[in-house]
Amino acid sequence: MQAMEERVRPLQASRGEGDAVEVEDLTREYATRSFFGGVSRVTKALDGITFSAHAGELFGLIGPNGAGKTTTIKILTTLLTPTSGKAKVLGMDVTKDLYEIRRRIGIVYGGERGLYNRVSAVDNLKYFADLYGVEPSTARARIPKLLELVGLQDRAAEKVEKYSRGMKQRLHIAKALVHDPEVLFLDEPTIGLDPAGARDIRKMVVEMRDRGKTIMLTTHYMFEAEELCERIAVISKGKIVALDTPSALKNMVRDISVIELKTYGATDQYVESLKALPNVVRVVADLMSEEQVIRVQTPLGADLLTQVVSLLPEGAKIIDRTIKEPTLEDAYLRLVEE
Amino acid sequence: MTGKLFFADPQWIIPSIIAPFVFTLVAFFLFNSQTASSTFLLYLVLGGGLMGMWGTTIYGSVNSIGFDRWNGTMESTLAAPIPLSWISMGRVLFNTFEGVINAFFILVIGFTWFQVGFVILNPLLFFIAAVSTFVSLSAFGLMMSTVVVLTRKGGFITNSMEIPVYIATGTMFPVILLPFAALPFAYILAPTWGIEAIRNAAISGYTGLGVGYWGDLMIMAGETVVYLALAFVLFRRVEAYAKRNGTIEEY
Repeated sequence: MQAMEERVRPLQASRGEGDAVEVEDLTREYATRSFFGGVSRVTKALDGITFSAHAGELFGLIGPNGAGKTTTIKILTTLLTPTSGKAKVLGMDVTKDLYEIRRRIGIVYGGERGLYNRVSAVDNLKYFADLYGVEPSTARARIPKLLELVGLQDRAAEKVEKYSRGMKQRLHIAKALVHDPEVLFLDEPTIGLDPAGARDIRKMVVEMRDRGKTIMLTTHYMFEAEELCERIAVISKGKIVALDTPSALKNMVRDISVIELKTYGATDQYVESLKALPNVVRVVADLMSEEQVIRVQTPLGADLLTQVVSLLPEGAKIIDRTIKEPTLEDAYLRLVEE
Repeated sequence: MTGKLFFADPQWIIPSIIAPFVFTLVAFFLFNSQTASSTFLLYLVLGGGLMGMWGTTIYGSVNSIGFDRWNGTMESTLAAPIPLSWISMGRVLFNTFEGVINAFFILVIGFTWFQVGFVILNPLLFFIAAVSTFVSLSAFGLMMSTVVVLTRKGGFITNSMEIPVYIATGTMFPVILLPFAALPFAYILAPTWGIEAIRNAAISGYTGLGVGYWGDLMIMAGETVVYLALAFVLFRRVEAYAKRNGTIEEY
């Protein structure tokens, strides 16, 4: 197994436009206070992370819940003070140049929060344009274009509380673009969306990248990160455990292949028995869905198939089986579980 | 836009219109049934007006930030490239202005329904006192709104000040009737001096706290400067504290 230092590949040469985001040895601790005000526990959310995102790059930050993704985004968007280390956006220090940074970045939050639900989409955009100091004439010209970009032009006058989750998320994107920022921070922008809604958002993300915006994306969805990001940092327990292109990250698990089973009636005991087999690196199972999917990572590939099938409990069936190349998710699981 | 957001939440009607209205009506019915002089009724109606302004200011100041907490827009507001104190000031000013409209309606009811004689002794001084009180209330509201940035429980703290301030500022009875221990609290509240200045300008022979119209105004101006200075310092500190402790997004 490669050492972590090797996985975090030295930063690639700049494309000549410089780095839009620079993070060096960044640490953030949260103190839990007791009833009497004393510090009872200190949790390290970020533990000396270092990375940079090039200007115009779509950079991904992936990791499990509580890994430190949102903390990183909050520090970079000047909403949280780091405990130590340096963070710069567009060459400016996040602890000193707050207002100049805020003028030049946009933030998209995932989920329902971040919009005024009792007023219309247009009113939301007007309000945020005002807050960001956009000239009224510029705002008047820009807002209809943004609403068209996110496909809300026909519902623009409706109160946001009547919007679906996907529509709200599209409005979030319009809101983040209202002051035409150079860098966009997207914090799990597709969380909770149906597949069509998530696809629309991904399309918009690509469009924004094509317009030359630097984008920093956090997500839980590996296929999304693989599809969108040019480089990905994997963060686990507050540390960056890998930083590379999606294909290079997948190469980290090229020593294994994946047996993917679609089953009916498989049980937890079956999954446990698979895990106990020699040469099984990892088993990831989704038994709750109508179509059960079990992924067995092994260096043996098809040679393990006979044993996998033989352990199947009575009454259970294998509907489909395939031997696959490892995906980014397989690489991710190995990285975060180490 | 702040107005749109404010009126979009129908709750504003209760503290801003209904509560002071009810208080003023109760006071009228209580005192009108006795042999109250027309001067005393004018005293009450002016106090009712100030109650309306104060109710809206305190509700608005809490809401100026609390509204963002409840909406989940706190981060979006804080991420804007202007100091939070400026955003909050705009909102508080609007809310105090809304309080002026409320006060106006209370005065109209007083002057028409209860037929309180509409005789303002010195309209110019009355206007100056009313505008100064408006500025002073806004400054006080701004200062109070910092508490809501600090903690999601801030709304409880500031809301609980509504009634004590009605009492301590002498909106319905002379401040001097308060227990001695409560007087310092009354004196550090600018609305106390605001209502005194307004009554001094409106009611012939009014003595109040005995410092005269200009005395009331000077004290109120001094306290307003202190409120504003405190508000800006507190905003800076509270915002830095919330960012340091990661409590901004709690709602």
